[in-house]
Amino acid sequence: MIGNDIVDLLQASLESRWPRKGYLDKLFSHAEQSQILSAIEPSATLWTLWSCKEAVYKIVHRLSGIRSYAPLSFSCKAGIVTHAGQSYYCRTIRQNDCIHTIAVQNRQLFEQVRMGFNLDTVRPLMQKNAAGIPSLNNKPLSISHHGRYAAWVSL
Amino acid sequence: MDKATLIQQLKDIVKPYAKNEVALDNINEQTDFVNDLKINSANLVDVVLDVEEKFNIIIDNDSMERMLNVKSAVEIIEAKLADNQ
Repeated sequence: MIGNDIVDLLQASLESRWPRKGYLDKLFSHAEQSQILSAIEPSATLWTLWSCKEAVYKIVHRLSGIRSYAPLSFSCKAGIVTHAGQSYYCRTIRQNDCIHTIAVQNRQLFEQVRMGFNLDTVRPLMQKNAAGIPSLNNKPLSISHHGRYAAWVSL
Repeated sequence: MDKATLIQQLKDIVKPYAKNEVALDNINEQTDFVNDLKINSANLVDVVLDVEEKFNIIIDNDSMERMLNVKSAVEIIEAKLADNQ
């Protein structure tokens, strides 16, 4: 299974007031907060951790069919996200203001990932189930867009 | 506080984060924050924090987990307000 998440750092800086009181406490563990606050670029580190949690949430949501908003139940350390006793693996690439994370259930799947940055190439071909979860030729498809950037990943 | 007043106050709270104005104008108990209002998931926490400040309540993690739509938000706010009394 696979999930992805993309963040436009410029858009995030316009949309988010993350230094506000309580914000970090509701989304990040103490260890994650220390990592963010001691980073050279705290906001880039924050959105990298967030994109890992989001990408893994998409896997968990796809498997369970249950929506929830529980960012603290996803703990992220060095590209490994743990949730409900399971580990998931993330690869994040940053290019300028674009942070893109791909998450998989086992590392071998990284070799099989198909991806692109133009959603128009997959939109006509993708199908959505009743819960709104997309697929491409019966393979899991994850799409993400934010600000100026978009990406899709599939297997 | 009656439900209509509560929903109106929620509407004021979500307004800065909602990207779908038509859905915002038609906000009701069935409105979903993410699917209908198109609120970014990183802004849902702002809705939670704004609700805490506005109603002087604390939304614990178990409650936040369900804060995905107006119906749940109303239920959570009503329950927390009752606890405060």
